[in-house]
Amino acid sequence: MKTIIQMTVNGELVESAVEPNRTLLQFLREDLDLTGTKHGCGLGDCGACTVILDGKPVNSCLVLAVQAHGREVLTIEGLAENGNLHPIQQAFVDKGAIQCGFCTPGMILSAKALLDENPKPSELEIRTAISGNLCRCTGYQKIVEAVQEAATVIDGTEVSS
Amino acid sequence: MLLPKFEYHEPSTLQDALNLLSELGGNAKVLAGGTDLLVRMKQKIDRPSHVISIARVPGLDAIIPRNGHGVTIGGAVSAGAISRHELLNDRFLPLALAAGRLGAPMIRNRATIGGNLVNARPAADLPPPCMVLNAEFKLKSASGEREVAAVEFFRGPGEADIEPNELLVSINVETPMPWTGGSYIKLGARKTLEISMVNVAALITLQSPDGVITDARIALGAVAPTPVRAYAAEELLIGEKPTDELFERAGMTGVGLCSPITDHRGTMEYRCMMIEVLVKRSLKQAVERAKSWKP
Ligand SMILES: Cc1cc2nc3c(=O)[nH]c(=O)nc-3n(C[C@H](O)[C@H](O)[C@H](O)COP(=O)(O)OP(=O)(O)OC[C@H]3O[C@@H](n4cnc5c(N)ncnc54)[C@H](O)[C@@H]3O)c2cc1C
Ligand code: FES
Ligand code: FES
Repeated sequence: MKTIIQMTVNGELVESAVEPNRTLLQFLREDLDLTGTKHGCGLGDCGACTVILDGKPVNSCLVLAVQAHGREVLTIEGLAENGNLHPIQQAFVDKGAIQCGFCTPGMILSAKALLDENPKPSELEIRTAISGNLCRCTGYQKIVEAVQEAATVIDGTEVSS
Repeated sequence: MLLPKFEYHEPSTLQDALNLLSELGGNAKVLAGGTDLLVRMKQKIDRPSHVISIARVPGLDAIIPRNGHGVTIGGAVSAGAISRHELLNDRFLPLALAAGRLGAPMIRNRATIGGNLVNARPAADLPPPCMVLNAEFKLKSASGEREVAAVEFFRGPGEADIEPNELLVSINVETPMPWTGGSYIKLGARKTLEISMVNVAALITLQSPDGVITDARIALGAVAPTPVRAYAAEELLIGEKPTDELFERAGMTGVGLCSPITDHRGTMEYRCMMIEVLVKRSLKQAVERAKSWKP
């Protein structure tokens, strides 16, 4: 039996009727056409499906859409503002932290959740924060550098503004 | 990977949750963080016709200090919340450390302590710390409630002392004595997202900063069909001055209690060697922390 759910996705209220066995990942990709969130393993191992749920990064393949009722979801599509990339996205581009790009949305959201809580993370804290996000291409070093760069940029903007 | 169909229930009071469980019993599964249940349902290992989410039952996600005497941790508190909690890091360190090693950050934000304990996996992270802290688990059903000690709860791989109509509502722990220190060490092939090859929790109480050991508790995971307390190694420590040589003997005794298996994560021989080393190391860390205990 379908249930009516409401949630805020990237700042917008959405309402929909879903079957209880629909995951949040399916709901975002198939019902809302937000295909930036990737479907990898479906079992919590790869982190490609990472979204931010009420401020915390989670594997959307292991959350039911009905469990997100009344909650706030941020996906990669919600990061850019007025056509400008978010500083973390820009740093990933600048530092060459993207190759095939499949892990990138999840990586960036894990990094965002980290920087929101801890604006000046150590290298170890960065590596821990992205430890549930697998990348088959980059070898992680450039991703870590991109997060460090983003932290500096975000910190700088906050001081000057 | 698709989830099979099921009926979904989302009780908003504990009484409603317990009533649903007693009506639906064997056909229903409790859904907490879903990091185990949803995986098993996708793999078609579990096929419940009803799923009862406990996420909106008030209070199950609270950590409540009992003014100095202990702490009550709700059954649906996440591993992430445990690992970040100040009091738990201060007085109940093995549990906070173990919660911080469970899975990866995204898993920790969903995975609950209740789910981890009821799962009863031999290599799970949270049973050993609960066992050294002498935790008591409160189980409730529509018809009553009971408490089970952590050391009695685990029966076999995937089997725990809980009925299908019962909910694990809280974990109760008494505050350890002064001059107590704890530790938790998990050995896997990688740092994160790794099921333990061996995990050890230890709790040591000293008579005074440079006195003898008055209480010692050691629990081992992934070395037998259930997590086990290493009672023989504990007895050897009590009444003695902490020394490296003593810890070495305790480690050797610890190995004797285990029946590890060989699998893709490690061989039996390697596991036995690691038990010895990790028991020794965890005792050393616990004693160091006991010496620097602060009121
Ligand atoms: C990628 C990945 C990595 C993992 N890494 C680790 C790891 O390093 N260490 C580790 O120990 N585990 C690990 N796990 C396993 C799992 O995350 C943990 O066991 C977790 O604590 C389970 O909690 P949950 O809330 O998600 O349980 P759920 O999946 O919601 O439930 C698990 C079981 O317990 C029952 N249940 C849950 N809560 C209650 C309750 N309050 N009362 C009665 N029954 C209940 C459910 O019905 C179900 O049968 C991992 C899982 C994944 C997917
Ligand atoms: S798709 Fe969700 S963790 Fe791999
Ligand atoms: S860039 Fe290809 S998986 Fe990370």
